[in-house]
Amino acid sequence: MTDTTDAFALAPVKGSGLRRGLARAGRSLVAAKWPLLALLILAIVAFVAIFGPLISPLDPNRQNIMLRLAAPMAEGPNGATFVMGSDALGRDVFSRLLYGARVSLLVGISAILVGGTLGVTAGLVSGYFGGWIDDVLMRLGDIQLAFPFILLAIMFLVVLGPGLFNLIVVLGIGQWVTYARIVRAQTLSLREKEFVEAARALGDSTASIIFRTILPNIIAPLTVIASFNVASVILAEAALSFLGLGVPPEVPTWGSMLAQSRDQLIANKWWLAIFPGLAIVVTVLSFNILGDWLRDFLDPRLKERG
Amino acid sequence: MWTFVVRRLLQSVIVILGVTLISFISLQMGGDPTFLFVSERASAEEIEMIRRALGFDRPLHIQYLTYLWNIVQGDFGNSLSYRQPAMNIVLGALPATIELTLFSMFFAISLAIPFGVFAAIYRGTALDGSIMTMAMFGQSIPSFWMGIMMILFFGLYLQWFPISGQVPFLMPLFQGDFATAFRNLPSSIYHLIMPAVAVGFYSLSRNARLVRSSMLEVLGQDFVRTARSKGISERAVVVNHALRNAWLPVVTMIGLEFGFLLGGVVVIETVFSWPGIGRLVFNAINQRDIPVVQASVIVLSVIFIALNLIVDLIYARIDPRVKL
Amino acid sequence: MSKTRSLLVASAASMVLAGSAMAQVSDDTIVVGLSADITTFEPAAISSRDNANIVRHIFDTLFSIEGDGSVVPDLATDLAISDDGLAYVYTLEAGRTCHDGEALTAEDVAYSFNRAKDPANAFTGNTPGFVFSSVGFVDAVALDDLTVQINIAAPNPIAFGLLAEVYVHCMDSYAAMTLEQAATTPIGSGSYRLVSWTPGSEVVLEKVADPGTFQNIVYRIIPEASTRSAELMAGNVDIITNVAPDQVDAINASGVAAVQSVQGTRRMYVGFNLSEPFAAMPGGDAIQDPDVRRALQYAIDVPTICAQLLNFPCERATGIVNPPNANQALTPYPYDPAMAEQLLDAAGWPRLDDGNRFTIRFQAGKGRYLNDENVVLAIAQYLSDVGLNIELDVMEWGSVYVPLIRQRNVGPLFFLGSGGALWSPLYDMTDLAKVDSGTNYTHWSDPRWFDRWADIAAANTPEEQRVIIDEMLQVFYDDGPWLHLYFQPDFYGVSGRLNWTARPDEKVYLFNATLN
Repeated sequence: MTDTTDAFALAPVKGSGLRRGLARAGRSLVAAKWPLLALLILAIVAFVAIFGPLISPLDPNRQNIMLRLAAPMAEGPNGATFVMGSDALGRDVFSRLLYGARVSLLVGISAILVGGTLGVTAGLVSGYFGGWIDDVLMRLGDIQLAFPFILLAIMFLVVLGPGLFNLIVVLGIGQWVTYARIVRAQTLSLREKEFVEAARALGDSTASIIFRTILPNIIAPLTVIASFNVASVILAEAALSFLGLGVPPEVPTWGSMLAQSRDQLIANKWWLAIFPGLAIVVTVLSFNILGDWLRDFLDPRLKERG
Repeated sequence: MWTFVVRRLLQSVIVILGVTLISFISLQMGGDPTFLFVSERASAEEIEMIRRALGFDRPLHIQYLTYLWNIVQGDFGNSLSYRQPAMNIVLGALPATIELTLFSMFFAISLAIPFGVFAAIYRGTALDGSIMTMAMFGQSIPSFWMGIMMILFFGLYLQWFPISGQVPFLMPLFQGDFATAFRNLPSSIYHLIMPAVAVGFYSLSRNARLVRSSMLEVLGQDFVRTARSKGISERAVVVNHALRNAWLPVVTMIGLEFGFLLGGVVVIETVFSWPGIGRLVFNAINQRDIPVVQASVIVLSVIFIALNLIVDLIYARIDPRVKL
Repeated sequence: MSKTRSLLVASAASMVLAGSAMAQVSDDTIVVGLSADITTFEPAAISSRDNANIVRHIFDTLFSIEGDGSVVPDLATDLAISDDGLAYVYTLEAGRTCHDGEALTAEDVAYSFNRAKDPANAFTGNTPGFVFSSVGFVDAVALDDLTVQINIAAPNPIAFGLLAEVYVHCMDSYAAMTLEQAATTPIGSGSYRLVSWTPGSEVVLEKVADPGTFQNIVYRIIPEASTRSAELMAGNVDIITNVAPDQVDAINASGVAAVQSVQGTRRMYVGFNLSEPFAAMPGGDAIQDPDVRRALQYAIDVPTICAQLLNFPCERATGIVNPPNANQALTPYPYDPAMAEQLLDAAGWPRLDDGNRFTIRFQAGKGRYLNDENVVLAIAQYLSDVGLNIELDVMEWGSVYVPLIRQRNVGPLFFLGSGGALWSPLYDMTDLAKVDSGTNYTHWSDPRWFDRWADIAAANTPEEQRVIIDEMLQVFYDDGPWLHLYFQPDFYGVSGRLNWTARPDEKVYLFNATLN
C-alpha cells in the first residue's frame, strides 16, 4: 500500500525555492513537449468553461424537436448551423459541449476539493496524533473501501435524488480515503524529521506544525494524485449518468451527453458520442499527461537520470 | 503475525457492521418502502397489512437490531422481490461476477506486466510511446461506451463474438457438477472475452503504467547498475534483479484490483446482460429490496476484507521491512 | 513454440465454431428478449408485465382476453352471473389436468382464488392487489366437481374481465409446497412447463400440450436496448420487446428483422393535482381553474411529440378511454399556442414583467415509459413557451417516484401512464371510480363524474350505459384533471423467420406463433 508514496521522499521546502522551482518547471515543460501541449489544452478547456456561454451559438437547452438528430453542419433554427449536429431533442451539440465543459470541470474540481479537504485533514490528524483517532479514521476508511464506490454512489443518489450538489458530495466522499492514506503515510514519516523536531522545540503550536511545516511538504504528491483523480471523477460522472443517477436531464455534462447517446449508436448517429467522447478523452488525457510529468518532475531520483 | 490477523479480523467485524448500518440507513432514508410492494388499487387496510407483514411498521432501530440478531443466527432474511432467502439469491449471482472479475484481472495483469516491462526497458522509443498512448486512452474512455462499441463492431458487424449473455462455469463447479462445468468451459470463455476486455481495459492501462514506473524505479537503482557494470546480460538484469524487486507493488495492485473491478462491473453487467451481483444490487436498490442489498453488501465486504488481509500478509512475508 | 501456437489456433477455431453454432436458433425453439428481470413464478405474486407474459404460458385462466378485447373460454366453458351481481358461477371444462397429473376440478379453482387472498401468505401480486381489490373479492366456493362460484362484495360491470386474469392451479401440489418452493417451481395446467430458470439470465419453457407451435420457448433477459436490438439483428433472438424508437429504422434496414409498432392501450397524461395542500403551492392555485387547464390543453403539440420522439404517428387522446370505446363526438384539442395564451390571459394569468405567468412544479419519473425523459422535457418546453415557469423534477422511477404516486402526493403537474384495455370503456374509467380511489392521483372530485357511477350501475341496457358514459367523458374532456397526451405505442422487434403479430395490450403470447 505504500508503493506510490516511496517516490515522494522529499527534502524540506524553503520559501524562495518556489520561484526557482517554477522556472525549472517551465523549462522542463518546454523540453518535454507533450506535457506542454496538455497544459495548453487544459488552459483552452478552462477558457471554454469560463467564457463558453458567451461564444455558444445557440441555447444549449432550447429543443427543436422537428430538427432532432441532425447531422453536423446541418441547418439549425433561425439560420444558425448545428456545427456538431443536434441531439435527440434537437438541441445543439456544440453549444451543449461548451456549457458541458463548465459543468464537467465544476463537478470534477469540486469533487476533488471536497474529497481532498476531507482526506487531507483526516490524513494529517491521523498521521500526526496516531492512537485511537488514527485507528478510528483508518477503519472508517476501510469501511468505505470495502464498499464498491459505485454502490455507495447509487445508494445515496437513489435516495437523495439527483442534482449537482448531491453528485459532487457523493463523488467527493468517494475520494477522501486515497488522500487520507497518502497524507497519513507522509505525515508519519515527516513527524520524526529534524525540522519538525526543531519547530516543536521552538514551541510552535500543534496546528502551526501541522499546517505550516508538514502540509507544504505534502502538496506536491497531492497535486499529482489530484490530477489523476480529476480524470476518474469525470469518468465516474459518466458512469453514473449511464445508470440514470447523474445530473438532471437539462444540465449538459460531457458524461451525460455520452450516456444519452447510447440508444443512438446502433443507428449510426455518431456525432452524439464522438464529440463529447473526444472532449472527455482529450481532457482526461491532458490531466494524466500533466500528472505524469508532475510526478517525474518532483521525483528527486529521476532528476539524476534527466 | 497471528495477533495481527486476529486484530484485523475483529476490526473487520466492525467494518462489516458499519457497512450494513450505512446501507440500512440510506435505504430507509427515502421514506416508507411499503408503497413499492402494494398495487395501486390497494386499500388502506391492505397497505397496512403488507406493511406489518414486511416488518416496516416497527421503529427503525428495532428493524436494524432484529436484522443483526438474525444474521448472527445465519438468517439473512427473505428477498422482498423474490420471496426467497436473500443470501441464496446473492450467492447465486456471485459466481458470474467472480468469473467476470477474475477473467478481467487475468486479461489486465497478464498484458500489463509485459507491456509495462517492455515500455520501461525500451523507454523513450516508439514502443514505449505507443504502449503509453494506448494506456492513456484506456484510462480516458468510459467503459459503457467501449462495451456498446465492442458489441456493435465485434458482435454485430463482424460476428466474431457472442453479443451478450453468460454461460456458467463457476456455478456448476461450486455445485460439484464438474461435467457441466467443463463442457461449458469453451463457451464460457467465449462469452467472457468482450465483457472482460470492457471491464479490464481501464485496469490494463493503469497497471501497465504502474508496472512501467515501478520497473523504471528499480532499473535506476544502484544494485542494478552494479549488476550491469559487472557485465551481466541485460536480460539477466531484468529478470533476476529488476523484476524480482518490482513485483512487490504489483502484488498490492492485484490485491486491490479485485475490489476495484468488482465495483466497476455494474455498468458492464447491464450492457452485456451479465447476471452478476452488480446488476442484482442495482436493481435491488431501485426496488428497495433491503434484505438483498444488505446481503450483497456483506458478501462484497467480506471478500474485499479477506483480500486485503491476504495481500497484507503476503506483503509482510515478501518485504522484510514491513512490520505487522 | 509452434505446437503451442497450433493448439491455440485450434481452440480459437473451436470457440468460433461453437459460437456460430450457437447463433442459429433451431426450428423448434423461439427466443424472446426481455428488458427487465423477472422475480418469481408464484402465481399470486406476479405483478410485472414481463413476468405475467411468461407465466401465462404455464397457467390457464377461466377465460382469456384476446388482442381485440373479446373474451373467449379457457378453463371455463360458461359463466352465469346472479341477478344481484354478487355471484359469478363458472362451469368448467371436463378432463383438464395439471402438469403433475392431478385432475383440475372446481375445488382447485376455488383453492387458487382463496389462496391468493389468504392474509397469512401476504401476497402482493396483481391478483390479490389489483383484481381482488377492484372487484371486492370475498371468496370462492366449489359447488360441485365442475362448477365454481366466485363471490364479490358489490355489483361490478367489469368483474368478468378482471376475474379472467386469475391464474388457476391445482390444490394438492400447492398445498404441499412452501411459499419459497412455489416461487421457483410452478405447476400449472397450461401448454408449457418450466424447464429451468437462471435468475437474471434466462427462462426455458417446454411444451407439454396444445395449443402451442414451438416445442421450446427461451426468454433471455437483456436490459440494454442497444444489446437487445443487436441480438435481434444478429439472428440470435426472435422477438424483442421495448425497442427504442430511434432504433426502429436500423432494425428495419437490417433485412433480418422488422419492427411491429402497435397502438397500445396505455393512457399517458399529465395530471393536475387538485388537492388542497397542492392548491397552496405555486401554480397549484392556477390549475384549480378549469379554464386554465383547458388553456394548457392547447399548448402541447402531441402529434409532433409522437412523430418525433416516439417514431409513431398518433392521434391525440380525447380522454381517459381507448379510442374504439371513447366518446366519438369528441375531437382532440389541436396545437394552438396562440389560443392557449389568449385563454390564459382571459383566465386572469397574464404575463408578468419577467415574461412568466406563474411558476409551477412538474414531477416525473424516468426509465419507465417509452422515451419518457425526452417526452417530459419536450412538454416542459411547450408549457414554458406559453409563459409557465416550469420547475422540472425528474426522479428515479421505482424507489422515489412510485412512493409519491402511491401516496397521491405528486404534483402540481405530474407525468404518468395508466394501463388500459379494449374490452370495456368502464375498465379504463375505473381509475376514477371514487374520489378516494387509490388511483385518483389528481384528487379530482367533480360530482358530474363521480355521481354518475351510481347511474351506470342502475342502467338497464348497454345503450343507456353508453349515454351516461359519453356524458361523463364530455365532462372529462372539458374540465377534467388530465392534460390529454397519447396512448403509448409499443414496439416489438420480430425476426424475419417468425410469423407473429403483436397485441395492443402489452401481452406477448406465443401460442400461435409460427415459422415463415
